[in-house]
Amino acid sequence: MSVYTGFRDDLLATVPSLRAFAVSLAKNADRADDLVQETLVKAWDKQKSFQPGTNLKAWLFTILRNEFYSQMRKRKREVEDGDGVITGHLSVHPAQEGSVDLKDFRKALEQLPEDQREAIILIGASGFSYEEAAEICGCAVGTIKSRVSRARARLQDILGISGENDFGPDPISAQITNTAFLA
Amino acid sequence: MSYGKSTNRRTSGRRDGGDDLLGVNSEIGRKLKQYYEDLVTEEIPDRFAELLSQLEQSDRSEKAEQED
Repeated sequence: MSVYTGFRDDLLATVPSLRAFAVSLAKNADRADDLVQETLVKAWDKQKSFQPGTNLKAWLFTILRNEFYSQMRKRKREVEDGDGVITGHLSVHPAQEGSVDLKDFRKALEQLPEDQREAIILIGASGFSYEEAAEICGCAVGTIKSRVSRARARLQDILGISGENDFGPDPISAQITNTAFLA
Repeated sequence: MSYGKSTNRRTSGRRDGGDDLLGVNSEIGRKLKQYYEDLVTEEIPDRFAELLSQLEQSDRSEKAEQED
């Protein structure tokens, strides 16, 4: 007995979110599609290690993320620079009504370090909990929280959004204050 | 009897937010969702469905070989 039936369909159903996550990481649609392809092949090979009923989406995101970082390490060795290429063929509809244009937002997002970008995407867009995001990234929940908070602050800074509704003290400024006391 | 609906909407709205810092009151949170939604709703290239069919096919023929 192998594979539960419907694994193929379940994988296919996750492709849109996988692609969105891949584009957010790779900043390039072609590379993103290669990442998704690689992820599907890996997932297929490892399907016996997946337990039906557990979170397939999180499992696939973990595979994709690992693939992204291992490719990135490889590429870094091959070419020291030349990255940061933004492909023009991603459909972007400028937001007329919003105060921040979506294109500007995307550019700002691309300026974030990978760890912050993935954290804010997983939490703010992909719909994962902090616990799930921590598992996907292989780090502590607190680490995800502080990355999200830093990412948000950085985006606000780049986009010139300030004085936005804040809800209580954010974990980062609390941390900084504590550190300042220690120093 | 009919307030069930609004409760549901509220709950799902909160879950979507994932985080108060990135909730509906946050410009960053809203943009983030808009950015992602655009990506998620893009048309999916056929290559992924084809790939999965191939993988499934090769599994089947492997299995058939083992059974022979």
